[in-house]
Amino acid sequence: MTDEDAVILNAVVAPGHDGAAELVVSLRHPNGGLETVALDAELGFHLMKSCGVASAADLPGKPWRRILEGL
Amino acid sequence: MYDIVIRGGLVVDGSGEAGFKADVAIQDGKICEIGQGLAAGRREIDAQGRVVAPGFIDPHTHFDVQLLWDGAAKPALEHGVTSIVPGNCSLSLAPLKAADRKAVIGMFQQIEEMPPEAFTIAFDWTWEDFAGYRDAIARTLSVNVAPLVGHSVIRLFVMGPAAQERTATPAEIAAMQDLLRECLEAGAVGLSTSFVDVDENGRPVPSRFADSDELDALCAVLGEFDRMLQVVPEFYATDITIARIDQLAELSLKHKIPTTFSPLFDSRGNGDNAPRAIARVEEQFARGARVWPQMQTRPIDLSFSLLRPSLFFARLPRWVRVLRQPLAERIAALKDPQTSAQMIEDAGPDGGLAMLGSLVLRGGDAAPPELTGQTLAQIAEARGQGCARALIDLSLEHGLDVAFLAASLGHEDTARIGPMLAHPLVHIGASDGGAHLASFATYGDTGYLFSEFVQKGHLSLEAAVKKITSDTADIWGLKNRGRLAPGWAADVVVFDAQGLARGEERPVFDMPGGGMRYTRDATGVDTVLVNGQVAYADGAYTDARSGVICT
Repeated sequence: MTDEDAVILNAVVAPGHDGAAELVVSLRHPNGGLETVALDAELGFHLMKSCGVASAADLPGKPWRRILEGL
Repeated sequence: MYDIVIRGGLVVDGSGEAGFKADVAIQDGKICEIGQGLAAGRREIDAQGRVVAPGFIDPHTHFDVQLLWDGAAKPALEHGVTSIVPGNCSLSLAPLKAADRKAVIGMFQQIEEMPPEAFTIAFDWTWEDFAGYRDAIARTLSVNVAPLVGHSVIRLFVMGPAAQERTATPAEIAAMQDLLRECLEAGAVGLSTSFVDVDENGRPVPSRFADSDELDALCAVLGEFDRMLQVVPEFYATDITIARIDQLAELSLKHKIPTTFSPLFDSRGNGDNAPRAIARVEEQFARGARVWPQMQTRPIDLSFSLLRPSLFFARLPRWVRVLRQPLAERIAALKDPQTSAQMIEDAGPDGGLAMLGSLVLRGGDAAPPELTGQTLAQIAEARGQGCARALIDLSLEHGLDVAFLAASLGHEDTARIGPMLAHPLVHIGASDGGAHLASFATYGDTGYLFSEFVQKGHLSLEAAVKKITSDTADIWGLKNRGRLAPGWAADVVVFDAQGLARGEERPVFDMPGGGMRYTRDATGVDTVLVNGQVAYADGAYTDARSGVICT
């Protein structure tokens, strides 16, 4: 992780528009900007795997760019 | 003598003004007179102790295909909904060339979860143009229909397969403009588009290949008719939603059109989403733009089965590992005593009671029907098991095709959502009626508005009625609907203000081919009139077919 990476601040499971569980990920960008993105199951599990965590609770602190790995 | 007199009810006329006790006389499909002591009608409806209001209008539905065999859009009508807007989210059933039907069916199945039989055995395709579809549904309507035309199908009609490959040429854009113009002249009330949806193969729907020039050109045609642009924005990301609000505002200002986007909902983990979007909408309205956010009333339930990996288990590492395996390996792992024992251990020292006990068995799947509606805690107790063990074993006993529901996990905080629904710039809608058939019931949002938000004081009775009648009609430009006033269409609902609500969700098998969907009955609705004819009364639908294509 570099100083130029966005960092995951929080990850919460919530129901999406279609009733499926989503992973709502809060991010902090290097410029201080905050952003929230909801991921579907496929992307959510992909993010967890890419970050090397087995639980969404372990995502905070991981670099957001890991989501790009393997896509 | 009038055709019908609704006598002695509390008239809440859709204006937002205080209700008043009066009779409502109907003649030739229209409201004729409102006052006390009116002359007799050939049919008298006793409304003592009841509210008499304009029929409710649902601005976001996907009843496009159901209307071909069910002109009442059941159960919408029994909930007091007398007018619906289908054709949302870039998808409609016209204009559509015969060669493109399969592609559009796939999109409907993917996005709205409609069974294939709904498109193959329930009706004959007799049309390609919008007027043909309009005529096909108009013959047996019990509800009024204000149809949108879908951007994706317009694109497909003009470009064929290239609609899902590239941007359009100037000539193609001009052809789309002509086609949209033809649809609007044939009764479409606007254009719908989507920035997020995919087809059954995971490819973006055609509307997502449009560039800004194309959308601008189509909005120019909408401007000729002062018609609506409906949009599905990237609702999973607040910042992009706000960018879309700005884009819609520019289109609204440039072409002098109303625009609306949906869904907008309050999400756990992103409490700023709806407030930020509404704040941006306020800024854009202050500039003169019309960008109406649609917000649903009902809370969002979370549902899952062990057939597919669900993020519901995202905080349980061993469950995640097991459920992400291919089906055969997943079943083997669940059957393995050591693995399942570890999973149960993860669920907590109480065997999963606190974490899983309130899950509800949904029904409509492979599970025994008698278990439908029971909580996992109840089922586990009856089985003499802990909750996690019961979930695993019950799923294994039925090929993992057992769906569970965690109720009201999103958009569920009445204290937060009530003020948003009451906001003058928030458009109550986004019900998705007729869609998501196998996931949840998209009916009864109007009843829930009253049973939850009026009963708890977030909106007055009159304000709630206004929100889903005259406000909706005004936003969409539906003429002579949404109010009880002399000369206006006699779309009327008679209901019990205290009892109006939605029933429990339940599976039914009434789709073509015996297909399943989840539905909800209405409670508290006595009588529903559409264009002056009684379409629903005393718990039953009538033979009235008085619905029209309304514009």
